[in-house]
Amino acid sequence: MQFDLLGSAAFAVFGFWIMLRWEAKRGNAAGCALSLWDVGLMSGMAGLLIGRLVAMISVGINPLADPVQIILIRSGVSTVGATLGTLAVFTWLARKSLLDAADGIAPAALVGLAGWSAGCLATGSCLGTESALPWATALPGSTVTRHPVELYAAGAFLLAGIGLAMWKQYGRPPLGSVAGVALLAASLIRLATEPLRISLTGGPIYLYLAGALAGTALTTWSLLNKRKIAHSEKE
Amino acid sequence: MRRTFIIALSLALLSAACSSTSDIAPEDLPAPPTPTTLEEVTTIIETSGRPLVINVWASWCGPCRSEAPLISAGSLAHPDVDFIGLDVRDNPTDASKFIAEFLSDADMTHLADRSGNIPVQLGATRGVPVTFFYRSNGEQAAVHLGIIDEPTLARFLDEIDR
Repeated sequence: MQFDLLGSAAFAVFGFWIMLRWEAKRGNAAGCALSLWDVGLMSGMAGLLIGRLVAMISVGINPLADPVQIILIRSGVSTVGATLGTLAVFTWLARKSLLDAADGIAPAALVGLAGWSAGCLATGSCLGTESALPWATALPGSTVTRHPVELYAAGAFLLAGIGLAMWKQYGRPPLGSVAGVALLAASLIRLATEPLRISLTGGPIYLYLAGALAGTALTTWSLLNKRKIAHSEKE
Repeated sequence: MRRTFIIALSLALLSAACSSTSDIAPEDLPAPPTPTTLEEVTTIIETSGRPLVINVWASWCGPCRSEAPLISAGSLAHPDVDFIGLDVRDNPTDASKFIAEFLSDADMTHLADRSGNIPVQLGATRGVPVTFFYRSNGEQAAVHLGIIDEPTLARFLDEIDR
């Protein structure tokens, strides 16, 4: 049995949790951390399930005939399905105050993504394309040194998450702008690191481009709208 | 409105899932994997002169079904790498059905090891799936026990295909 993906998931959940804790009473209202935790975890798990179902159906495996295979996450999860599923479930769960919730959860989501990328240390899948840079490392028994591309991504997600949390705490950004910048940052980080990854089919570049466009649109709209987050009201 | 959406989504999922099942007539089944021995497999590894992947599977192995499309995609993406499917502890008819259903597009040769000892002799356990990666000089580059994921398969293929 293989449980190393659980290690990767644990990194992600820990990153998400620690950022929500840090933001409680800072960028976020004191009482909302717990509900954001619930919504975030529920959205992520539902997204993972949707992504797995999409992956199974796309390769011709019937999830109804082989329901046990749904839990074989390692054998494939559709990034597009998981991403859109997570966003859809989050939108539905937080529909009563979507932008507030999105701004509240955005930095923690980025740090959670940082944890997921850093989880490559548990799964042994950090390395990407060949590189001669001093920090490039080789697979065991190999002389070919490679970019630790997932660690690059983890570092970038972490910096983006912390930066957004600081902006939210001290900058009092307009409603929706934190979520917009987070979406833009996540998309750009994936776009920037994708050429350094090795894959059989290439990453879903169109998804990342769509995410960057959506993030830019949301940020622009919120900056033009000028509706400030009312920290005092939340508290 | 919401109920309609959920019902429509469920029906779409159901129809997509059900449409993937296929009943194949016995005369349309591919040939079963050719029985082999450790000596034959070792000879292939040492003399093929090409990078080689040996994927150990069995028709009774659920995870192998999930993994098969990925192995198939890998074989098509790396035409310079030879792919061998090693079917273990299986019966020929079930193996043929498995190939027809999950590996029909793959560019690979299938061999059969009824005893299931060859993977153990090559350095794995008796569990399936297992994937062996060999460089063109016959050197074993990696052994992956269990289901392989896309980044890992891509990385090991990149490692031996150079």
